[in-house]
Amino acid sequence: MFVTDIRKEFYDVVVNQRVALFVSPDIDALCACKVLQALFHCDQVQYTLVPVAGWQDLGTAFMEHKEQYQYFVLINCGANVDLLETLQPEEDSVFFICDTHRPADVVNVYNDTQIKLLIKQDDDLGVPSYDDIFRDDEEDEEGDGDDSGNESDGSAEPSGKRRRYDEDALERRIERQRARREWEARRREILFDYEQYEFHGTSAALVMFELAWVMSKDTKDMLWWSVIGVTDQWIHDKIPHMKYVTDIATLQRHVSRHNHRNEDEENSLSIDCMRITFEYDLRLVLYQHWSLYESICNSCYTSCSFKLWSINGQKKLQEFLADMGLPLKQVRQKFNSMDMTIKENLREVIEESANKFSMKDIRVQTFAVHFGFKNRFLASDVVHAAAALLENVEKDETPTDNFIKALDCLSRSNLERLHLGIDLAKKKLKAIQQTVASCICTNLILSQGPFLYCHLLEGTPDVKLFSKPLALTLLCKYLLKTFVCSTRNKRCKILPLIMAAPLDVEKGTVIVLGIPPESETSDKKNFFGRAFEKAAESTSSRTLHDHFDTSVIELKMEDRGKFLDALITLLS
Amino acid sequence: ISFCLHNMNEAKTEGKSELIPSIKFRHSCLLRNQRCIAAYLYDRLLRIRALRWEYGSVLPTTIRFHMCAEEMEWFNQYKKSLATYMRSIGGEEGLDITQDMKPPKSLYIQVRCLKDHGEFEIDDGTVILLKKNSQHFLPRWKCEQLIRQGVLEHVIS
Repeated sequence: MFVTDIRKEFYDVVVNQRVALFVSPDIDALCACKVLQALFHCDQVQYTLVPVAGWQDLGTAFMEHKEQYQYFVLINCGANVDLLETLQPEEDSVFFICDTHRPADVVNVYNDTQIKLLIKQDDDLGVPSYDDIFRDDEEDEEGDGDDSGNESDGSAEPSGKRRRYDEDALERRIERQRARREWEARRREILFDYEQYEFHGTSAALVMFELAWVMSKDTKDMLWWSVIGVTDQWIHDKIPHMKYVTDIATLQRHVSRHNHRNEDEENSLSIDCMRITFEYDLRLVLYQHWSLYESICNSCYTSCSFKLWSINGQKKLQEFLADMGLPLKQVRQKFNSMDMTIKENLREVIEESANKFSMKDIRVQTFAVHFGFKNRFLASDVVHAAAALLENVEKDETPTDNFIKALDCLSRSNLERLHLGIDLAKKKLKAIQQTVASCICTNLILSQGPFLYCHLLEGTPDVKLFSKPLALTLLCKYLLKTFVCSTRNKRCKILPLIMAAPLDVEKGTVIVLGIPPESETSDKKNFFGRAFEKAAESTSSRTLHDHFDTSVIELKMEDRGKFLDALITLLS
Repeated sequence: ISFCLHNMNEAKTEGKSELIPSIKFRHSCLLRNQRCIAAYLYDRLLRIRALRWEYGSVLPTTIRFHMCAEEMEWFNQYKKSLATYMRSIGGEEGLDITQDMKPPKSLYIQVRCLKDHGEFEIDDGTVILLKKNSQHFLPRWKCEQLIRQGVLEHVIS
């Protein structure tokens, strides 16, 4: 069931208990986890935190902890599948699910006792009403029983009347069965419509922050974490731009509330205190920690607009820089070492020139944090750094090790880790750009009819990076945007993209991911989850639907061909 | 020393007084060895005493393997003496001074598990599963022992 008063029904219930926290590996979940941990530390609630990478991990973790804990909090996992069926818990286990995955499974929504969904009543939930999906079977049986009862009663009557009774009873029964079949057909249709598209709701970090705010225990750290959570949803393409802007507006109110003290000149805060500011900043990834030139080359928006994989594109970039009057030497330097005169009006200068080159949205609303003289980070910087740490393939570390490192980098006291994350993110972005350029130049994207398909071969440089879902999502998104900019085929511009990358060479598996078509007003609703399931079933391919995002699956190399064929038939 | 004197007397009576320096030399060597051994044994005792503070009343078998019976005896006596002392201070229940070796900053601390330790039972009966990379928020006194053993790591954020 949906929780209406999150404080009374969730926090006050767990505050005197020991809780098990299961957290999924994405940045929004990490931020929500940090906010909740801070609240728990404040109220001294004992908890155990276990990172879970997929459904199997969740099942194992639940089995291990079900004896010791009664209350479980799941962050960014568990809402879109019938949880009681999957985990088979005892009667007294209670699950609090704070998950952005939609649609929420109907069993989870209508269960009154064990499942509590910590979800804001978004407008677009669209859960079917109870009577449309659930029906007491007993009514039918009673009805039949009455009929047979009537029949047996009627046996005492003369045979004429009895025949009439029989006919009536039979008619009623046929009528009921027909109505029931109709109801079931309608139910299937409703459920199909409801569960067809997968999308994401409000950030879990924002939900947790609002809980903290309701209890007046919110701090700037928690606010910053919720900013990072919302920004992560936007960067990894989980929410449409309108929703991002709405969420930013909500956060802006909180930020101005927290910044109220700064304006008082007598009691101004020391430079070491944390300040969050609203910025209308450039959409150039990591530009303050890199050189401006590198950032322009490796940001998806600019790279697509200039078409930087072609020679013409490089020329256009030079023109752009010349138009702004920025010397090449300055632009290739580290941003912090650029001339102050250039840095002063940089944003406005870039915006003006960008408008001339038909890049209207070079600036985007976001937040930045300052603490101390040296440390200034934009929300997107932190998201990229944390994502790079979370999916680090450089050293052979387990996913849980990476989870811990990424969780640590979100604290202000672990700046070296954050800087390490930024370096890894730079490498990742460069790898993405190079892969995109090579895919476009070698025409690796093929149109299969109802969708576009791209397969990364094993020998591709940095292909290990793309065996992880977040990195592969970014690559997919950039590739689709670039393809749409570069192709002349109008039909192909509205197709979705499926991408396959090698996952484990020894086991011969690939990771397959599908994203919806690229458009300005896309609502980011993804139908590939159901499509993958159906295609796997119909061809009995060996797939593993382990990720919490149903649009990401693992597949055996050999079954790739028939799986794709099934998808083509399914989607045409 | 008496043995030395006895030897020296023997040497004098037998008329081999040139042996007296070598007797003295040997004797001082023996004394030196005796001092070294005593220092070594004393150092061992000090370390065994420190083990009580580090590991608690039950020593792991790997350590007990390296101790001789007399040292175990000494350890038990030390344990008893420490326990008697702890019972005598702090009112009726006594005071466990092996807890809180450093001044605590908070009642509850966040710890991270560094290796798989299996299930850990706390005094009030609750069981916690310590798996690698899981994090827990527990009362300080329950975790101190494990932090000292290196199973848990105190996380400061």
